[in-house]
Amino acid sequence: MSSISELYDVTWEEMRDKLRKWREENYRNSEQIVDVGEELINEHASKLGDDIWIIYEQVMIAALDCSRDDLAWSCLQELKRQFPDSHRVKRLAGMRLEALERYEDANKLYDSILQDDPTNTAARKRKISILRAQGKSSEAIRELNEYLEQFVGDQEAWHELSELYINEHDYAKAAFCLEELMMTNPHNHLYCEQYGEVKYTQGGLENLELARKYFAQALKLNNRNMRALFGLYMSASHVAASPKVSAKVKKDNVKYAAWAASQISRAYQMAGRGKKENKCSVKAVEEMLESMQITMS
Amino acid sequence: MGEVELSCLAYAKMFLHASQHPRSSVNGLLLSSSPAGAAVCITDCVPLLHSHLSLAPVTQLALTQVDVWCSQTQQRIVGYYQANACVSDSSPTPCALKIAEKIFEQCNNAVLLMIDGEKMYPGCRVPPIVMYERKDARWTLKDKHTIMLRQWEETCSIVNQLFSSGDQTLLVDFDSHLDDITKDWTNQKLNAKIMELISPANGNV
Repeated sequence: MSSISELYDVTWEEMRDKLRKWREENYRNSEQIVDVGEELINEHASKLGDDIWIIYEQVMIAALDCSRDDLAWSCLQELKRQFPDSHRVKRLAGMRLEALERYEDANKLYDSILQDDPTNTAARKRKISILRAQGKSSEAIRELNEYLEQFVGDQEAWHELSELYINEHDYAKAAFCLEELMMTNPHNHLYCEQYGEVKYTQGGLENLELARKYFAQALKLNNRNMRALFGLYMSASHVAASPKVSAKVKKDNVKYAAWAASQISRAYQMAGRGKKENKCSVKAVEEMLESMQITMS
Repeated sequence: MGEVELSCLAYAKMFLHASQHPRSSVNGLLLSSSPAGAAVCITDCVPLLHSHLSLAPVTQLALTQVDVWCSQTQQRIVGYYQANACVSDSSPTPCALKIAEKIFEQCNNAVLLMIDGEKMYPGCRVPPIVMYERKDARWTLKDKHTIMLRQWEETCSIVNQLFSSGDQTLLVDFDSHLDDITKDWTNQKLNAKIMELISPANGNV
């Protein structure tokens, strides 16, 4: 089997830089990381200098994701040897136990870290992840709420909590989490769009109007967000069709929906150009827009 | 109730969909190109979501679009499948039951299919599937003897071939279509590859 460097004609430096990019942007493309990282470690370890430790960590986590316990174990051994008393390495050992579903042992390890250092957020978050893996959603939610009371700025935690609430159909609380995220990340179109989806799901005229506004905001931040575009179309259509709205509100929403429909049409026309295979999806959208127009007028 | 037959094409795509997103719950719709009758022939499936299964907008949108596509291609929506993120729990979630109810309104022998993650390991002799049908206003477990997967061994081997050739990456679900609308959620390309692998000796699989 040929090596990555042969297959893709890349140098070891390029491989190292790719790993850094994936690390910095928090990608979870574990199979790729394992392929590239394993070769880098096996063939070019001496050239990596101090970078090698962070690469061991990155590759170890990716290896756990791919059930490569052999690789994870050897990375862990190298790290243990170099950093014998490190909490960071202990946490990695805990993650390996989690991957092996030895949750009690993992928890013991995390508890010992927390005894030494009660502010260790990584260990606390791993404990919450264990609850999630075991399907104990309400406990995970409770622990995460307690965590956020102390560490109110932790974006990752707020997002995790919003996901948990969405899974539990607790849309009001999910909305609250997304509000926190939108406040601290006002330019993130994804949070606006997710908030719109939650409001739409909650239903009722007020929520639908709110949803429409947030879908519009998401589009302002990124006019290519198709979910926001469809969301705008659907929420405006529903508001326009509601018997409770004034003539003016109805007229405005018909306008918004029509605008969204034309944008959707345009986007699909452009996508369909020259590609025979998505002919079906393009046709489906066109018919859908036509049929919804009929029910609205 | 009646018999349910699951085609190789439908099974393969469901399996691929669940494998593509091992850390999330996934869902999709089951389709039939056969006329309505006592038995249900699931001939194809459309993979839908791998995130936020319980949020309404994208689900509604997908249902509408698949409906339109079905009427254009003489197919009917006859069921719903879901694979939970938590591998040890293959029971239907409230969201699964809700969507299945909606499908039941239009199709009175609709099926609800849960994928059993624990049986998805290579070499498992049993299909990783749990099926439910609507009986006495509740979704109840279907008698295993009324579920037919023709040529099970060959279906398994076809799925393995898709993984080894790398063709499993061709699968597009509705979620990924929304991320990039040039991707085809009807999976014409992948369907063609799968049909190629299904040997002609099977006839109607």
